[in-house]
Amino acid sequence: MTSAELQRRWQKRGGLTDPQFALTIVIAVLLFNLIIIIIPLGYSFYLSLHDTNVILKKTEYVGFDLWAEAFAEEETQDAAIKSLIFSGISVVLTFALSLAMALVLNLNFPGRGVLRALILLPWAVSEVVTATMWTMLLDANFGVLNGILAPWAVPDGQVWLNPNWVLFWLSLAFAWHLAPLGTFFLLAALQTIPQDLYNAARIDRAGVFSRFWHVTLPHIRYAILIVLVVVTVEAFRQFDLVFAMTSGGPGTTSQILPLLIFRYNFQFSQYGLASAASYVLIIVATILAMAYFVLLGRQRKQVRVAKPTAAVKAA
Amino acid sequence: MDRATGQKIFVGTAVFFVFVWTIFPFFWMVWASFMTDSELATGVAKGIEEPTLEHYGRIFGLTETEAIFGGQTKAMGQGFVNSLIVALPTALIATFVATLAGYAFGRFRFPGKTPLLFTLLLTRTLPPIGILIPYFILFKTVGLVGHPGGLILTYLTGIVPLLTWVLMGYFATLPVEVERAARIDGCSRIKVLWHVIVPMGAPGISAAFIIAFLFAWNELLFGIILTGGTQAQTLSPALLAISPLTAVGYSPVALFCAASALSVLPPLALALIFQRYITRLNIVDPVTIRDE
Repeated sequence: MTSAELQRRWQKRGGLTDPQFALTIVIAVLLFNLIIIIIPLGYSFYLSLHDTNVILKKTEYVGFDLWAEAFAEEETQDAAIKSLIFSGISVVLTFALSLAMALVLNLNFPGRGVLRALILLPWAVSEVVTATMWTMLLDANFGVLNGILAPWAVPDGQVWLNPNWVLFWLSLAFAWHLAPLGTFFLLAALQTIPQDLYNAARIDRAGVFSRFWHVTLPHIRYAILIVLVVVTVEAFRQFDLVFAMTSGGPGTTSQILPLLIFRYNFQFSQYGLASAASYVLIIVATILAMAYFVLLGRQRKQVRVAKPTAAVKAA
Repeated sequence: MDRATGQKIFVGTAVFFVFVWTIFPFFWMVWASFMTDSELATGVAKGIEEPTLEHYGRIFGLTETEAIFGGQTKAMGQGFVNSLIVALPTALIATFVATLAGYAFGRFRFPGKTPLLFTLLLTRTLPPIGILIPYFILFKTVGLVGHPGGLILTYLTGIVPLLTWVLMGYFATLPVEVERAARIDGCSRIKVLWHVIVPMGAPGISAAFIIAFLFAWNELLFGIILTGGTQAQTLSPALLAISPLTAVGYSPVALFCAASALSVLPPLALALIFQRYITRLNIVDPVTIRDE
């Protein structure tokens, strides 16, 4: 019996069709999700239009003044730039690490299963613990890095988390924590590449890099895009790691946007300004995500068209 | 040196680097946790002259603790319990909801599927701080600050879309034959879901459960704001309370390392036990799977 016949028989008994059934579930879940998200977002929007004075317990409607303030404030712009730098470095580092580890794990060696299990561990620990570990490595006074490098004439007590480099080290710690996830996405894609393609390329005397460029990369293109999406989103919404490792310091040199909003709200009780600034963050994140989705959709079509040609070439 | 040996050396080196990169930070944190405070102050990267368990003893309440940290170390134990109280229901509810949604998205075609999916995924990209501020003010008025229920609700906003995505891709890879046979025998779709999909997809569903559990166990920001300093304080805020960053004067780095090392035991155990299932999840191609 085909599923279409089954469908018809089912409908006669007064049940829902498959699409109706699926739609019912999906809409119920989506409604639940939207309710727990739209109510706070709506309330946050309301807050962003009102100047709240906590001491006088007075709330005053000010229109989009606070939005303008959030955009114009030097502190906010500075934090936004830091967010972009942090996300940018994080994406590059995390992706490079993910790909390198995936390529290594795709090789044949004894103990591969063990290593595959091990590399999952950094992903399983919290950002707070990641911060602890990297502080142990980088601390100027007792850190491991200074201890190991001491014999090689590195000035004693080198301050790694200095204003110029702090965002880089935060990104590296972030990459250590998140790269396993990317590794597994890429590894799954790598393992779908037919071995024949490599053999054919070898017969054509293609070198390692040529094989990587012409055989490996086209096959994992889609997975690469997914990894970039996931990492960008995670880096952009990251709070825990930076808060636990530097709290935005030294000074405000690693104060990315989420940390600044946190300070506005929970240290200075400027609910309106914090909400307005968080809307800036939300809007940028949404634009970023939508751009990626469009890109994904386009890539998907290309992959679908490209697949048969690759197969024909191999044959 | 022939080609094969050269290749072996190359592979060996690469494997070695991946191994060291992964283990290095873990190793030094645990190493430091066995040092006395005065020894640690002179550097972590050296042999330990007199290894000590006093930091672990303090956390378990076996060793005397300076008055200022007495409360905090007690809060660690409480944090373990509280995190469990929050993480288990979060993971259960999220897995239940996402199983339904993932089944619908992964197995059926219906009008508006792609836009609905993107709407769901967009909610995942929202920065947590943007959601937290209104929730904090709302919860303050209804008394949900310092209550696990509030935390669970806010965790669901982030974790349900992610799990749906994960499970959708996973369900789409399961064979349809058994399901079809059950339907022909007159099972309703809900029955099929419960008696066929759930048992058959148990590895994926348990992996999703672990992902949700780890998220709730590890999270800091919501935990600090919604439970920090209260009876319901979860583990990450409790940890941060003894962080050398925030502590004034005496710097309890070694204690902090010991506490951190203990806090990762449950996640590490779960990740290792379910490693095979977690890595089997196909979340690479969520949108296309059903169409191709």
